[in-house]
This record gives sequence, C-alpha cells and structure tokens, in this order.
Amino acid sequence: MKLRLPLFAAATALALVTACTPGTGGGGGGEGDGKSFEFWSFSAINQKLTVDAYQAKHPDIQIKLTEVGTSTETAQSLTTALAGGKVPDLVLIQGDNLPQFVEQPQNFVDLRTLGADDVKGDYLDWVWEQSVAKDGEVLGVPTDVGGMAVAYRTDLFAAAGLPTDRESVSALWPTWDAFIETGKRYKQATGKAFTDNAATSVFYQAVNQVSEKYYSADRKLVYSTNPQVKTAFELGIKAATAGITAGQSSFESAWSAGMAQGQYAAVSAPSWMLNSIRSTAPDTKGKWDIAKIPGSGGNWGGSYLAIPKRAKNPQAAWNYIKEMQSPAGQLEHFTRVGALPSTPSVYKDAKLTDAKDSFFSDAPTGKIYTDSLLALKPFYIGPDSAAIGQEFLNAITNVEQSGGNPATAWDDAVRNIKTAIGE
Amino acid sequence: MTATLTPAPTAALPPPAAPKARGLGERLAPYAYIAPFFVIFGVFGLFPFAFTFYVALFDWNPIGDQVFIGVDNFTRMFGDPRFWNATGNTLSIWVLSTVPQLLLALVLAHVLNHARLRFALFFRMAVLVPYITSVAATAIVFVQLFDRDYGLLNWLLGLVGVEPVDFVQSTWGSHVLIATMVTWRWFGYTTLLYLASLQAVPRSVFEAAAIDGAGSWQRFRHITIPSLRPVIIFTVVTSTIGGLQIFTEPLLIASGAPLTCGAVRQCQTLTLFLYEQGFGQFEFGYGSAIGVALFVMVVAIAAINYLLSTRIKADR
Repeated sequence: MKLRLPLFAAATALALVTACTPGTGGGGGGEGDGKSFEFWSFSAINQKLTVDAYQAKHPDIQIKLTEVGTSTETAQSLTTALAGGKVPDLVLIQGDNLPQFVEQPQNFVDLRTLGADDVKGDYLDWVWEQSVAKDGEVLGVPTDVGGMAVAYRTDLFAAAGLPTDRESVSALWPTWDAFIETGKRYKQATGKAFTDNAATSVFYQAVNQVSEKYYSADRKLVYSTNPQVKTAFELGIKAATAGITAGQSSFESAWSAGMAQGQYAAVSAPSWMLNSIRSTAPDTKGKWDIAKIPGSGGNWGGSYLAIPKRAKNPQAAWNYIKEMQSPAGQLEHFTRVGALPSTPSVYKDAKLTDAKDSFFSDAPTGKIYTDSLLALKPFYIGPDSAAIGQEFLNAITNVEQSGGNPATAWDDAVRNIKTAIGE
Repeated sequence: MTATLTPAPTAALPPPAAPKARGLGERLAPYAYIAPFFVIFGVFGLFPFAFTFYVALFDWNPIGDQVFIGVDNFTRMFGDPRFWNATGNTLSIWVLSTVPQLLLALVLAHVLNHARLRFALFFRMAVLVPYITSVAATAIVFVQLFDRDYGLLNWLLGLVGVEPVDFVQSTWGSHVLIATMVTWRWFGYTTLLYLASLQAVPRSVFEAAAIDGAGSWQRFRHITIPSLRPVIIFTVVTSTIGGLQIFTEPLLIASGAPLTCGAVRQCQTLTLFLYEQGFGQFEFGYGSAIGVALFVMVVAIAAINYLLSTRIKADR
C-alpha cells in the first residue's frame, strides 16, 4: 500500500482541484471589510518593501502579503485557487503566465469597472494590451517590464583583449551574428566559454525582437512559417554549434556556480536579471558592466497585478494598484528594487536616468533598459506562446548539451510543438 | 493421580447475563471509532481516485470550460510519442534501479545474517539511514556529485583521463543518475526485509550445511536464496509498483526544465508526464487519462504478483 500512495496523492490532487467548478466556492466576492486585503506575490523580488511603504502611508489598511514561490508556482497556486479554493484579493502574474488567464476572463474582475480606463494612458500601450481579453475586459495592470541588455565581465573581457567600456562593447555587436563572432574571438583568446547558453542568451532574446512572433497580428498561429522566428532559431543553433557557450541552462545550480567562477563572460540580462546576478555571484561586485543588446530593442519579462472575481476586498486592492502602480509609484519602486517601470512618462525623470548601479561599474541601468523598450516592436502573445517558446528552447538546448542533430533541430522542434499544443 | 476433585473454576462464576438489548448508540459506536480513517480515506483517497476516471473523459480546463470528449484523451495518449517516451524511460529506470538494488540487498542480508558478525545491530540500522533521508536532500547531493563541470565523480573520472560525462543531459546518464538515487534510497529497506525473512530460517540449517563442508557461496546459493523466494517476489512487485511512480528524483535533477526532466524529456517518467500535463499545462483531462493508464499498469503487475505467489504456495 505504501508504495501506491504517490498514485493516490496525484489522483487526490487532481480531483481536489477539479471537484469545484469556477465560481462555486465562497460567494460572489466583494463582501470584505474593505480595510484589509490579501496579496499573493513571488518570492525574492522584495515586494515587501513596497507593501510596507503603502502601509506606512495608510495605517488603517492591513495587507496580508504571501510570497507564494516562483512566478510559475504562483500561477499554479492561482489556478488551483480559482478552480475552487480561497482566492487572494490581489495577485501578481508574470507575463509568460498571463495569456492562460486572459483566455478565461470570467475568473477576474474587469478592472474597467473600477476605473482602469482612467489610468490606461499612463502605461506602455503594448504592455497594457497583453492583459486585455477578447471582449475588451482589462484583467491586469502592468507593474514592470524587463527590457533587454547584455551583462558582461570587464575583467574577463580585458584578459581576452576585448574592449571593456560599455560603448565600445556595445559597438562590438550591432547584430547577433557579430555577437557570435565576438564570442569566437573570446574563445580563441582564452579557450573559455563566452556566454552561458545559446537557448536563453541568444534565441530567446532574438525571438523577442521580432515584429511578429508565434502568432500573427490577427491571432493565428504562424510559428512554423514566420521567417523571423526561423532566423532567431538559426541564430540560436549557430551559437550552440560555435562552441562559444558554457552549456549551462539558466538558473540551474551549475549555472550559478559557473557565474560565480567566471566560467562565462557575458549573459543576456533583462533588468530583473541584475538582482539575480547580484545574489548569485556577490564576490564579482564591480567586475560587471552592461552593454546594449544586439539587434534592435526588445523586452523579456514583466508582471501584472490582477484581482480575482471572488476577491473579498476588490476596492481595497484596486486602491493599492492605483497608488503604487501610478507612474510616481513605479518610479519609487524602481529606486527601491530596480524593477523597470511600465509607465513611459517617468523614463525621462532624473531619478531614473541618473540611476547608477555600483555592482555593474556604475552602469546607468535606467537609461539602458528604457532605451531598449522604446526601440521595441510589439507583437501578439497568445495562449500557447509559452509552450511554443519552451519547445524551441528545448530544441536548442538539445543541440547544445545532449548532442542533438542541428540539421533536424527545426523540424524536431516544430513536430514537438504540434504535439504539445495539440494542433 | 489423586482423586481429589476440585470444582471447575467456571462453576464459581455467576451465569453469564442474558444479552441486554443494546442501545442503538452502542451498536454504532464501533463504526464511529473506525470512521475517521474511512472518512478521510473516502475524501482524500477513494473519491479523487474514482473522480480521476470521470475527469479523464473530459477536456477539462480547471478555470474554464469542461467539455465531454469521451475516449479522445486515450486515443490522443496512445498516439502521443511523449507518452511512449515516458513509458520507456520509466521502464528503463525501473530495470536500472531494481536489479542492482535487489542483488545488493540479497548479498547484504546474507552478510548481515552471518553468525559471527560483530556490531550486527549497528550495521543493520546503518543500512536504513539512506531510507530516512529526505528524497529532496538525496537528489540535491547526487546532482552535485554527478555534475558535468563541478561534480566530484567527473573530477575523479578526469584523473584517469575520461572526458566529463553530462549525466543530466544525456539519456542513459540521467537514467543511471536516477537509478542510483533510487537504489541508494531503497536498498537498506529491502535488505531488512530479506534479513527478517532469513532470520526465520533456523540457524541449524546453515550450521549443518557448514559442517557438511558447504562454503559461503554454496550456503548463499542453496539456503539463502530458496528460503527468500517468496519475499524476493514480493520485493520485485513492490519495487515495480514504486518504480512506475518515480517522481521526485526526475523532477529535481534538471532544474532548468524540471517538468520535462531536461530539454528532450530524456528522463521524464510517467508520473512526471502526468504532473506536467495536469499542473504545467493545466490539461486535467489528459493528465487524468495518464493516471488511469498508470493505474491499469499497476493493477496488471499486482495481478501477476498474485498469480506468481499462489503458484509458489502450490509448489510447496
């Protein structure tokens, strides 16, 4: 019997979640006292600082902050909660997870009913659009965006005879092909890997710089026929087979160890990655700098705040969104934790443009990242975008780390995607 | 023999009272005592179990629509290369973990049962230590030991001139890694099962064989193994059922793509595939269908166990 427990546990988990259909548990929402609300956020993003700042200004409001886990775990918990459990009043959803919730707008408060239309103009329009459901319901307010850049080790670049100041380094790689060539120069000079991996540091960046990604503007699947996707994929394969990568998948423990030990010299770094580098390799303080991303601008990451339909205190949650996600609120959040605002009106603010990061050789982070956003071409992100992206990443990792055949990688990826999304 | 008669002790007792008509409460009380288990089992075991079969017939979005699609999930599953890949991985990891584990346990049990073994209790307890270590801790340590660039094992291989092996990213390497973890965790438990069974064999049998000139190998071959046959069958079946459900180890070894256990699903087991579909993709219907398939496999193996064990009894 003991050994059969996992099967029962899996069945139990499945059935517990499925036992209740959406909206059946806990009334229609809104019956709370309006003086308190529950907030689910991710761990390790310092959300508490901003919550504390709000409570200092509003001593009569109680916020119960729960750091659920990673962004994926938070989305999983939210799904479970929406299916029949106790929902929070306010929840942070990472951009990659957002489409699956936008497909089911009946689970969330349409923020237009609380006044979202009044603040819409404050945000980058393409970021805002991603949380709008098919009938125009607004499900979330963007809290931050990632932007794009490359973080590199000045000491390792110097040892390889490459320039070290950020302007000259940016000039090394106007295109992704030039980035790969720079990697070969570095490898030749040092014998070491240039970047962490081909999948995230090359393909995932390049594929986010397109004007049309896995879906066309009219929301049809075009991942297998879109030449822009194929070009980005081939860049990834080229990097994987050029021998310039360390073959360390992002966020694995050996990736962290490799970063701390200087196993690779450059890593693609949206603004939120800076925190990750800082905590992963604290001893490398001052040895990093930040250069422009090859190609044009682009974005990786960013999150949204949403209010579930059954929330007990939707108004209190909305008041929080309105105040803390206003342009001024996001600018303040940027100065506290470095998350890049999604409100373009503050991009020229001195607090942002003058912000320098001493860990990264006093790089003007605010300016570098906002520049990458302003050069961005928005595209539609659909319900299967995350699954499609994952299969492409897997195909490149397979070539890089598991000896997969680069010649068949594209066809393999497309076939796996068809299986995965049931097309 | 004395002829003294002693009165039968029972005679001194009053005659048993006629059974009173018991109250309803008293008759129901025993059921109330055992109810907690059955209620909890029903809520967390039986109901979800039965419900899985129901959900498997739907295209079931936990936060959206639930559409009845009959056996489509099963048709899809049989044509899904990922399902067969997971089945193959599961079987491969099962063989790689069960065979060495049972052989190791057999030998260890034989040694631990040796009459002249000193500190026997210490050694018998020591083999259980891996079993009581948490799976997650075991996985973290083993992944570091087997790491491509920073692992102790590859460092040792490097000393004798072997190129570093990427255990996690290669198919056989990841299977070996997982099988090693499973073996490490379970060999002590199996050893104790064998040992308990061995201790039921009279020591005189071993001694008589020794006096007749049987060496250690002959005693192992002709006494230990035949007397352990029923428990060997039992452990083969339990480790098969356990092997079909390996989940934590593959989930933890490839932290870059945990739900697929690597970029090409090289070590994704059936339970991990179930979890990926259910809780990664939120396809509850399809996830349930995989659960049903897993259930059928477990039942089939349990049936084989039943047939084998009745035959063994009949042979005796």
